[in-house]
Amino acid sequence: MILAVAGGKGGVGKTTLAYNVAAALDAVVVDADLGMADLPGGRGPDLHDVLAGEADPIETLRAGPVDVVPCGRTLAGARAADLRRLEAAVAAIERERGTVVLDCPAGRRADAGVPLAVADACLLVVSPRAFALADAIRTRALARELDAGLVGCAVNRVTEEPPTDAIADALGAPAAVVPADPRVGRSVAEERPVVDAAPDSAAAEAVRELARRVPR
Amino acid sequence: MDLTWDIDREGDASLVRCRVRNDDAVPRRVRIESRLGAPVLPPRRGGLPESGWDEAGVTLRLDPGERRALGFAARAPPTDPPVEIADVEAVDTAAESVSEEPIAGVERSGSATAAALRRLGDHRPPRAATAGGAGELKDASPAERERSSSPTGDASPGESAASDVDDGDTFDDDDTFDGSDTFGGGERDADPDDSPSASRGPTEWFDAVGTRLDAVEARIDRAERLTDADLAAATEAVAEADGVEELSGLDQRVAADATRLRELSERASALAARAAETEAPVEALEQLA
Repeated sequence: MILAVAGGKGGVGKTTLAYNVAAALDAVVVDADLGMADLPGGRGPDLHDVLAGEADPIETLRAGPVDVVPCGRTLAGARAADLRRLEAAVAAIERERGTVVLDCPAGRRADAGVPLAVADACLLVVSPRAFALADAIRTRALARELDAGLVGCAVNRVTEEPPTDAIADALGAPAAVVPADPRVGRSVAEERPVVDAAPDSAAAEAVRELARRVPR
Repeated sequence: MDLTWDIDREGDASLVRCRVRNDDAVPRRVRIESRLGAPVLPPRRGGLPESGWDEAGVTLRLDPGERRALGFAARAPPTDPPVEIADVEAVDTAAESVSEEPIAGVERSGSATAAALRRLGDHRPPRAATAGGAGELKDASPAERERSSSPTGDASPGESAASDVDDGDTFDDDDTFDGSDTFGGGERDADPDDSPSASRGPTEWFDAVGTRLDAVEARIDRAERLTDADLAAATEAVAEADGVEELSGLDQRVAADATRLRELSERASALAARAAETEAPVEALEQLA
C-alpha cells in the first residue's frame, strides 16, 4: 500500500501529518519533497541519491520511532533527481516493508504529480482557511487524473470549529479534524509521533481515524 | 495537409519550427519526418520525449481543421526543406481507443508516471541556481584550509579582509549558508573533520552572513576608493593593500560580488515577504497545550 499525503499548498502540515499517519500505520515515510525536504535527515544515502541512480532504495531506510527515507537538502541533488526512478524505488520499499507513506511537495509540478501517480491512494491535508482549500481542490483534481483514490482529508491545525462538511463536500471525501496541538507540531523534529507521545489526545485520535481509512 | 516551416541555426544545431494543418474533413494521422542529417532531438519534459516523437520525426493525429505547432532540434546543418510529410492516413476512429493505449505506456502505473511527467511542469531548480554549488564546495575546501594554515594566515582583522579579497569566492566556498542545514546536506556530511556548526543558533547564522557581507563591503570600499581616484588616493589604497598584486583581479571579484549580492538580495526580499505573510498561531497553540 502506497499512500501519498498531498495538499497543494505549502505549510499546511503535510510533512507532520505524513509522519504521524505513518506512525499509526506502522509504515515507512518517504520524504518525496525533493526541493524542500522536511523530515529528519541522516548521514547516509537519501532519496536524491536513489533518484540519481546512485543508491539502492533499501539502504536509504533510516530506523527511528517511524522509519524514514530521508531526502537530500541540496538544490543540485534536486536537479539531478530523475522522477522516472521514483516508482521502482517506492515499489522496492513497499515490497520490503509493506506500507509506504509519501510526503509530497506543494504545487502542481511534476514532483508533486509523480508521487500521486505512483501512489495507490492519497490523503489531502488542508488548513481551515479558504485559500488553502482552493489549492487542495486543484490537487484533488490532479490526484483524480493520476488515479490516486482519495481516502480522506485532514483539516489540520484547527483552533476554531471549521466548516468540516463544506470541506468534505468540496473535496468529496470524509474530513477528519486534527486539532492544533503543539505536540503534533513538535513530533517530527523530536521524532515522537503523537500516537506515542500523547495517545489519548484528540490529535492522536484524529490521526488514528485517518489511518483507519487507509485500505490495507 | 498543409505544412509550413522555419529553420534557425544555433551553434552546430538547427532549430526547426513547423505548423501543420489538417485541411481535410476527416481526422488524419500524419507522419512528419526530419530531413536533417542527424537524429531529431524532440521536445522533452522531465527527460521524457513528448508522446509521438522518435528520432526520425513525429506522428500526430489531427482532427478536421486542427492546427498544430511543433518544433525540434538536430545537430546538423540546415537543409531545405528541413521536414517532409512522410505519410498521411485516415484514422479509424473505432480502432483508435484500442490502438492508442499500448503506445502510451507499458503498464498502467508506468504510464501514469510518464503522463505526470509529460503534462506537469518541470520540478527541477534552474541550472543557474546550482551553478557553482555543490561541486565547488568540495573543491574549495582544501584550498581554503591550505590558505588558513599558511604563515600569512595569522590574521589581524585587516589582514583577514585582505585574505578574503584573495579567495574571491565569498559566497561559494564555505559554510555561509549551511548553519540552518538547508543547503549543506550530504556534501558537508562527507567531511567530518570540517564539521559545520550544526548547533549554531539562528542569530549566529545571521552573524555569519553579516561577517561575510562585511568582507564584501571591505572589498567594495577598496574598489570605490580606487574608482576615479587621484594618484595620492590610489597610492594610499595600494599601500594599504600591501602592494598592487594584492589588488589584481579586484574588479572581476567586485563584479562577481555585485551579481551575487543582487541574487542574494532578490532571494532575501522574496523570503522576507514570505516570512511577513505567515502568521503562525503560536499563542493559540500554547494556550491549548
